[in-house]
Amino acid sequence: MTAEPSPVPVARRSLLADAAEIGTDLWDYRDLLYQLTLRDIRIRYKQAVMGFGWAILMPVLIIGAGALVRYAMAYLGGGTFDRTDVAGITVKALPWAFFIGAINFGTTSLVSNANLVTKIYFPREVLPLSATIAQAFDTMVGALAVAIMLPLLGVRLTAELLWVPLLAVQLLLFTGAVALFLSVANLFFRDVKYLVQVVLTFGIFFTPVFFEPAMFGPAGAQLMMLNPLAPVLEGLRLAVVEGHNLLLPLTTTGGSGDTVVVWSPWYLAYTGLWSLGGLLGSALVFHRLEFVFAEYV
Amino acid sequence: MSDMTEGIVFEGVWKEFVRGELHDSLRDLVPALTRRLLGRGGRGRRKGAFWALSDVSFDVRPGETLGIIGPNGAGKSTILKLLTRILRPTHGHCAVHGRIGALIEIAAGFHPDLTGRENIFLQGAIMGMKRREIAARFDEIVAFSGMEDFIDTPVKRYSSGMNARLGFSIAAHMDPDVLLIDEVLAVGDYMFQDKAFARIHEMARSGRPVVVVSHQLDRIATLCNKALLLNRGRVLRAGTPEECIAAYVFDRPKAPVDDAVPVSLDSITLVSEDTIRSGEHVTFRIAGRLGTGAMPEDLEPVCVVVRALHNGQIVYASNSVYCGLDLGDAGPFTVEVALQLNLPPGGYAVETNTYSRKLDSVVGEGPSLYVTVVEGATFWGTAQLNAQMALVAPADPSPSGASRT
Repeated sequence: MTAEPSPVPVARRSLLADAAEIGTDLWDYRDLLYQLTLRDIRIRYKQAVMGFGWAILMPVLIIGAGALVRYAMAYLGGGTFDRTDVAGITVKALPWAFFIGAINFGTTSLVSNANLVTKIYFPREVLPLSATIAQAFDTMVGALAVAIMLPLLGVRLTAELLWVPLLAVQLLLFTGAVALFLSVANLFFRDVKYLVQVVLTFGIFFTPVFFEPAMFGPAGAQLMMLNPLAPVLEGLRLAVVEGHNLLLPLTTTGGSGDTVVVWSPWYLAYTGLWSLGGLLGSALVFHRLEFVFAEYV
Repeated sequence: MSDMTEGIVFEGVWKEFVRGELHDSLRDLVPALTRRLLGRGGRGRRKGAFWALSDVSFDVRPGETLGIIGPNGAGKSTILKLLTRILRPTHGHCAVHGRIGALIEIAAGFHPDLTGRENIFLQGAIMGMKRREIAARFDEIVAFSGMEDFIDTPVKRYSSGMNARLGFSIAAHMDPDVLLIDEVLAVGDYMFQDKAFARIHEMARSGRPVVVVSHQLDRIATLCNKALLLNRGRVLRAGTPEECIAAYVFDRPKAPVDDAVPVSLDSITLVSEDTIRSGEHVTFRIAGRLGTGAMPEDLEPVCVVVRALHNGQIVYASNSVYCGLDLGDAGPFTVEVALQLNLPPGGYAVETNTYSRKLDSVVGEGPSLYVTVVEGATFWGTAQLNAQMALVAPADPSPSGASRT
């Protein structure tokens, strides 16, 4: 009998070394990221009656629900509800649909690929990330539909459309960060996916999709903009529908005469911080736990 | 050894696993955390923890092929998972230099709804191949699998054999620095098995370090130039494949002796030299004792079994009943057994036991003996058929001559 060894202190690794390792791993396996994304897209559209209809079903339902809520609000409050409001909801429905789709697929991505996780080595980051990218592909299809719809809703082409790529990247990074984190959480605790479903179902009421933060008064607006997704969604609406330059602040006068901040350029930095910090943080958590995945999945 | 920059190093590796369920939901986490905070969980070994590997060390240099054998649960697959970085050792050091090619779970990444073609690219990427690399070898992969006609059919319509053939073909066409092989030596029909084995042999002989895990001991014997015998996570023996296979086959657990059997076999000795030339006669003496109880019908009191150690297969078995031997009255006896070892060179175990035809099982295990057969006769194969060749007159050229070609 060999005596059991005394625990050897594990050499502490620097965060920077870990981050570099994640980077090189992902670069080495970029073809796998591509192939897994392709797989997710292919199986979604193979043998699917609706085909690309799937890409717009969710946004269409969100727009319909939003229009209904806003119509009722306008009717009760005596305000107006016109096609610009529909355009605003349309612009925000698509990124929201992307977020919930990516989080749903991303959360379960490690567990549903358990056969791969336990049998073959590859950087496991590619699983939640490919789920996110596959969903982004769906969203691009939806974006084409939205691009056709917006002129019909009275939206004019402005230079502020150039803000869209930046906001899209922020959204993609933030979603990737959340997907990475939740996929690990769901691997260790299987009830996380139910929790995520509940949060996503009611999340639409805490995110300015149907509403605009300004509707909640000065304090309410600022509170709502704390949601890291809010600046992305509101930024998209302001830039695309209102033609507002996001480098300039925007205020409006609320119902009781006080000034409500609709937009501040700092919001861009706020979400940018969430995106980059979140991605780095969850990638590090993911990477540090990655080596026990096969034992727990 | 750790400064080696080529091949595989496994140094004093321990791996702990936990039996049973780990806490798996947030609901279970809360009480577990509370216990830990209150200091009642203890910081010792987790409950149900056991060592899947205990102090395992080996290295595989370029040009070496290591075979790992042992019963189920010995830790063979755990070693491969540590080598492929799926698992990390609890203690110790494990390093593989270069790109790993694993003929393990060769079809794990297949998606049933995708076609063979799409799956080749997917599985190849999962194994770490670049898209360009797969594209360049695509035709070779398809040709090797012999699935040209089904390559655009969804994999869910494939038989399991077709699945495995395609998977093997993909894995066999990557160009790794280190090759790991787990139980894929029995893929597809026997023709494909031979083809696959030839391919593995070719990859192994190209000078890269190889690790093979298999229960097909004769394949291990052919393929490997060193071996490791494991049991319950410990290395029982490290050495040549022949030594390890012999130890594995020879030291297998004996069936418990049934007290009701009125025969006991106590010793076996070799009368002649213990190095035997193929085709020679050898004589053994088996000593035992006959009890006073009645001899049951259908009992074969003295059985002799010759087992080839390179694959564990029985090459010959006979017994005292077949040989028409009467053991006589109760009391000690000695039986002399003469065998002509018409066997190819190799290690053999001569085992003794008592067998019941009625129960169709061994009812008493006797002692065994190890013999080595060395080159003697000139033949190749598994049995000496004593070929006789002679020159005879040419066949009758007349058309009525009954000749066959």
